[in-house]
Amino acid sequence: MAEEKYNMKNPAVKRILQEVKEMQNNPIADYMSLPLEDNIFEWHFAIRGPSDSEFEGGIYHGRIQLPPEYPFKPPAFMLLTPNGRFETQTKICLSISQHHPEHWQPSWSVRTALVALIAFMPTKPDGALGSLDYTKEERRALAIKSRLSAPKFGNTERQALIDEIHQAMIKTLPPVPELPPANVDSAEPVEDDDEDDEECEETLVAEEPDRDAVVENVHEVNVNANAGPLSVSFSAGFRSATRAQAVDAADTQPQHRLHADHAHPAQAGTGPGTTAQVRPVVQQPPSDSTLTILAIALTIAILALIIKKLMRSQGMPAGMPESMPPKL
Amino acid sequence: MDTETGGEKERPRDDEIQAFHNQIRAADAEKLEFVGDKEPLSVLEDEYKAGSAVFLAKLQILKENYGSIRRARGDGNCFFRSFMFSYLEHLIVTQDEAEIARVEKSIEICKQTLIDLGHAEFTFEDFLGIFVEQLQSVIQGKETSISLDTLVERCRDQYVSNYVVMFFRFVTSGEIRRRAEFFEPFIQGMSNMSVVQFCRSSVEPMGEESDHVHITALSDALGVPVRVVYLDQSGDINDKPVTVNNHDFIPEGMDTSVDPYVILLYRPGHYDILYRRENPANVEPTILEQKN
Repeated sequence: MAEEKYNMKNPAVKRILQEVKEMQNNPIADYMSLPLEDNIFEWHFAIRGPSDSEFEGGIYHGRIQLPPEYPFKPPAFMLLTPNGRFETQTKICLSISQHHPEHWQPSWSVRTALVALIAFMPTKPDGALGSLDYTKEERRALAIKSRLSAPKFGNTERQALIDEIHQAMIKTLPPVPELPPANVDSAEPVEDDDEDDEECEETLVAEEPDRDAVVENVHEVNVNANAGPLSVSFSAGFRSATRAQAVDAADTQPQHRLHADHAHPAQAGTGPGTTAQVRPVVQQPPSDSTLTILAIALTIAILALIIKKLMRSQGMPAGMPESMPPKL
Repeated sequence: MDTETGGEKERPRDDEIQAFHNQIRAADAEKLEFVGDKEPLSVLEDEYKAGSAVFLAKLQILKENYGSIRRARGDGNCFFRSFMFSYLEHLIVTQDEAEIARVEKSIEICKQTLIDLGHAEFTFEDFLGIFVEQLQSVIQGKETSISLDTLVERCRDQYVSNYVVMFFRFVTSGEIRRRAEFFEPFIQGMSNMSVVQFCRSSVEPMGEESDHVHITALSDALGVPVRVVYLDQSGDINDKPVTVNNHDFIPEGMDTSVDPYVILLYRPGHYDILYRRENPANVEPTILEQKN
C-alpha cells in the first residue's frame, strides 16, 4: 500500500497505517482484518467463532468503518455473515467501556475491538438492539454454513478482499464440533423487532423511563489477547437494561439473584456502579429480621450513592482542601 | 422504605448525567478556546461581584502573589490542557534546555513503562511524538522554533491539543499502575474501583476529570513540579482570617523548595492557569503575548 496516496496531514492516517502494519506483522489465527486498497478508513475482517461455544468452527465476516477522528472516535462494526447473535449489516452496539457505555478509548485499537467482538459472541444479548437470541442449534447450523463461502458484499474489489480473508482463515479453521445431545435447547429463536441502526438499548430506555422501573444489568467480559509481541489487556462492558416491575425490597433480592444466575460464566462480575443492584446478597429466602436489616443497609447504601453523586456533580470530593490527602 | 428501583427513579441515571454533562461541555466549547487569552486576575472579581464573600476575600489575597489567569475550556481535560500550556510556556520563557533534555529522558522511561504494562507502541507513539515535537520547538533560534503566539495557536488546535492531552493521560495511567500499591489507598478513598479499573474509567478516556491522584502521577512521571492554588468556599469570613490553600506537587527527589513550573488555579471542578505577579524588571517585550 503506497503511503503517499493518503493525506498524511490527517493524523488518523498515520495511526491507521501503523495499525495495518502491526496487524500484518503479527497475524493471529482468531481474526484477520485488512483495509480496502483505496480507502484505509474502511476495513473488512473475519473472526473465528470462539471455542467452547456454539459458534466454534464458524467464520464470521464483517466490515469496520473508522471515523476521520480515529482513534478519538470509535470504529463502527458490522457483521456480514448470518450468525444468530448479531444482526447482519447493522451497526453492532458494542460499547467497550464499563464506566460510560458510550466511551471508546483512544488507547484501544481495531485489534482490541476484534478481540472484544469475539468475546461478546457467547454472551446473552438481553434484548440489546442489533442482537439476536437464536438457539444453539440455529447458531451451530449457521456456523457450518458460514464455512462454505464468504458473504457477498459490495463491488468486485471488495469481494476479492473478503474472499482473500476467507481463504486465509479457512485453512487453519477447526471443524464445527459434533453436537452433544445433552445440549438440546428447544426454545424458539427470538428476534428483536424494534432494532434501530443507530440507537443502543440504553438510549431507548432513557426515552421512556416512566413505563417500568429499570434495573441495569452490566455484563463484563475480561479479555486478554496475546498477539505476538503485543499484549492487549482490557475489559469490555456490555450494558443492557432489563425491565423489572417495581417491587419492594423483599422481592427484589431473589429477582436479582436470578439475573446474576442468568449471566454466562464468562461474564464474571458486574460494573462497579451497579454492584448493589445485581449482587446476589442472600442464598436462602431471608427471614423477616434479615430483611429489615437488609432493607436498612440498602437504604444507607443508596443514600451514600446519592450523596456521592451530588458531591461529584459539584466537583467537591477531591477539590476541598479539607478532604485533601496530604502530599501523596 | 425505598427500594432500589424507587431510588433509581429519583436519581438521574449515569448516562443521563453524562448526556447532560456533554451538553454543558458542548455549550462551553463554543464560548471558550481550549486555552484562552491571558487576563488580569481582576476579571474574576467582576465575575464574583455578586457572589460569595469568601471568594472575594480570597481573591484579594490571591492578588498579592498572582497577577493573571488564563482559562482552560471546561471539557474535563482542563487540568491536562492547563498543564500542557503552562509547562511549555515556562520552557519558552526560561529557554531551559537542560530541563527539556531531562523531561525527554522521563518520557523515555514513561514509554518503557507503557510497553511493560502491555500497551502496543502504536497506540501511544503518535501522542508521544506530538508532545516531543512541541518540546523541541520551544527553544528559540532553530528552524522549527515557535513563538508564544504560535504556542497558543497550537494549544488551541484540536489535533495538537487532544494528542498531547491523550499522551498525558497515557503517562498518568502508566504511572498510577506502575506504582499501584502507592496509589491504591487514595483511589479506594474516592471510589470502590481497583487501580486498573480507575485508570480505565477515570484516567484514560478523554474528558474524564482530574484530581490529586492524576496530578501527583503526572507530576511525578514527568518530574515537573506543580502548584495548585485553591479558590473555593472553604473557611468562614466571620470566623477567622480567610486563607488561600496551596498545594505543591513536588516530584520525588526534587528539592521541596523549588518554584513550581506549573501553577494552576482550582475552582471546584475546574483548573485554569495562574500567573505570578510580573516583576516589571523581568518583562521582556519579546516574550509577551501580542493580543490582537
